[in-house]
Amino acid sequence: MRVSAQTKAATRDRILQAARQLLAEKGYEAMTTRGIADAAAIANGTLFNYFATKEAIIACLASEAIAESMKKADANDRIGESLEEDLFAVIALGLRNLKPLRKHMPVLLETCLSPLAVSVSDESTSLRVNQLEAVESLARKHGFGPLSATALQLYWTLYIGLLMFWASDKSPKQEDTLALMDDSLNMFVGWLRTEMPDDPTAIKPKGVSPWPPSQTS
Amino acid sequence: MATLADLMKALPEPQETTPRAGTPAVLAELSLRPVPVGRLRRMGLLGSLQTKIAAAYVFYWIRGWFKSAADKERLLAETHWRTAVRLLDSMSYLRGATMKAGQMLGNLPDIIPAEFVEALERLHFDAPPMHWSLLREMVCNELGDDPENRFTSFDKRAFAAASLGQVHRAELKTGQDAAVKIQYPGIARTINEDFRNLFLFMLPAHLSADWENTREQFEDLRTRLDRETDYLREAATLQKARSLFRDDEGIVIPKVFPEYSTQRILTMERLEGMHLEQFLANNPSQEVRNEYARKMLRAWYRMLYTGRMLYADFHPGNFIFMEDGRLGIIDFGCMVELDETLWELFRKMDRPLTTGRRDDRVAVMKEWSSIGDDPADADRLRVTDEYADWSWNARYCGGEYDFGDEADFRRGIDLFLEMVRKRYSRALPSTPMMARQHFGWWAMLYRLKAKVAITPIAEEEVRATGWDRRDYAPVIA
Repeated sequence: MRVSAQTKAATRDRILQAARQLLAEKGYEAMTTRGIADAAAIANGTLFNYFATKEAIIACLASEAIAESMKKADANDRIGESLEEDLFAVIALGLRNLKPLRKHMPVLLETCLSPLAVSVSDESTSLRVNQLEAVESLARKHGFGPLSATALQLYWTLYIGLLMFWASDKSPKQEDTLALMDDSLNMFVGWLRTEMPDDPTAIKPKGVSPWPPSQTS
Repeated sequence: MATLADLMKALPEPQETTPRAGTPAVLAELSLRPVPVGRLRRMGLLGSLQTKIAAAYVFYWIRGWFKSAADKERLLAETHWRTAVRLLDSMSYLRGATMKAGQMLGNLPDIIPAEFVEALERLHFDAPPMHWSLLREMVCNELGDDPENRFTSFDKRAFAAASLGQVHRAELKTGQDAAVKIQYPGIARTINEDFRNLFLFMLPAHLSADWENTREQFEDLRTRLDRETDYLREAATLQKARSLFRDDEGIVIPKVFPEYSTQRILTMERLEGMHLEQFLANNPSQEVRNEYARKMLRAWYRMLYTGRMLYADFHPGNFIFMEDGRLGIIDFGCMVELDETLWELFRKMDRPLTTGRRDDRVAVMKEWSSIGDDPADADRLRVTDEYADWSWNARYCGGEYDFGDEADFRRGIDLFLEMVRKRYSRALPSTPMMARQHFGWWAMLYRLKAKVAITPIAEEEVRATGWDRRDYAPVIA
């Protein structure tokens, strides 16, 4: 029997929902794919049709949380007064959505969000691509040309760095992360301004290049 | 928008200091920098400064800054100002403390160039704002929801810079107009760390005879600045101060909205009116100026004698000249609660303040400044007494006092400088604060060119203390 796309999507949602719940109840270590399958009322084997590993599920949760923030940011027509401000808004929204996953960030950062993770899952690639596309689009709105591969790489590194800092930020209400975000983004956009105007050597990518570049290409 | 770079421009070029490469541009950018967190990084910034001595300046507030001016060599003094400002600027991520220093300097119009004061005044109100995205996160973190949801309306642009944050207009769900003061993230802990760092830089000073005294004064400042970053504390002080005044007295202290206030956000009633500069630009009559001055004095004495607290943050940005003649007082982060020691000192000071007799003054000064009967202390006593006489004369002269008299104001400053130059500043830890607030309110009255009689106001207010003044109060009619 063929499974309709609708059913597929519903099952995928059930898995993610079950994972969210188990993550909150048991934590990452104690959470098993079997447990998730049970909670989602599907066979263990079926789960693997959707996600190869536990990490892939978490990566998907993170990716969805971030994508959600992108959607919100996109739906918001208002352009901020500066690129720094808009980038800040996107990252901040992402952090709000990632909040339930904050204590599991180390796992994500070691796996799908690691700069070394090349092909752990499609989720990690799409997360990166989505994020960088949003950055490109915002930069365009603020009058910047296409961003060089270096610029995107730098941004991604900053972004991951911020997530790392946030994951272990012990300051009250993680206020230090806000200060660091502000600082990092000022630095990034400041660099972009000096970099962008007339740098003929800058590599102009076609669309957004995923980073790091795929080993096979 | 005024930046610290503007301040630097307002000063003549130093003669013998080594400027850092690209200084003006760096400074312009620095004032826009956010607050970094992390000790090593700040140590790096501090370490880039040319002199360790300059580091000692800053938190040695008055004493350090006046040391050179005492030589009465204007240019040399200004070179030192420049060094001090440069040092402050290297810490301008620490916006709060920088502005604090700026505000204090702005209160002393005659000893620094006019352009410098003007630039500083703009700095009070035009400090670079946190952008909206950052503000929104701060509000959400602190008040549990976005400003758009928590308030009926919320101005995205700050209308004033506060010493450690910025202030936004907002309308509460109840329809009340409010001023929402938001603190820069991380600044409270940053200040603490900086003090620790500066302390290390001041190591060479440890060997001096006055070190113990300096250490205490330093510690006192640290504590006060630390308190200033706690908005809940400020809210409590505001509420206390507000309760001291009746509606018909024309002195307004804004109401706090506790449900919109946290340690990092302070929401209070918004007071409409002008700041000092704007007020003076309209050429108000002598009587109007005098009336505002009386209200300032009334407020200061009420807070002191009834509230047992000192309003130590006298700078133009904290006073609102309201249209109906009322005086609004804002920013209560710098209030000093008088402990038993200070209260006792004020009680003892009441006698010389009332009688104006030298003997009474000397007795108190000896105690305050630990001056003995040793002949070697004679000069110290003379200068200290002259300074005290200048400070208190307005109170015991009985009649109208002309605060607009520039020569008189300068005389006070010169005496203070002489004390500092001769290292006579050894005193109780709260001395820098006392001097700061004293020059602060004097400078306000000077700028108002006020001619007012202090005695009647002080005499009315001092009654609240319940002190037994029978044997000396009648001396002054």
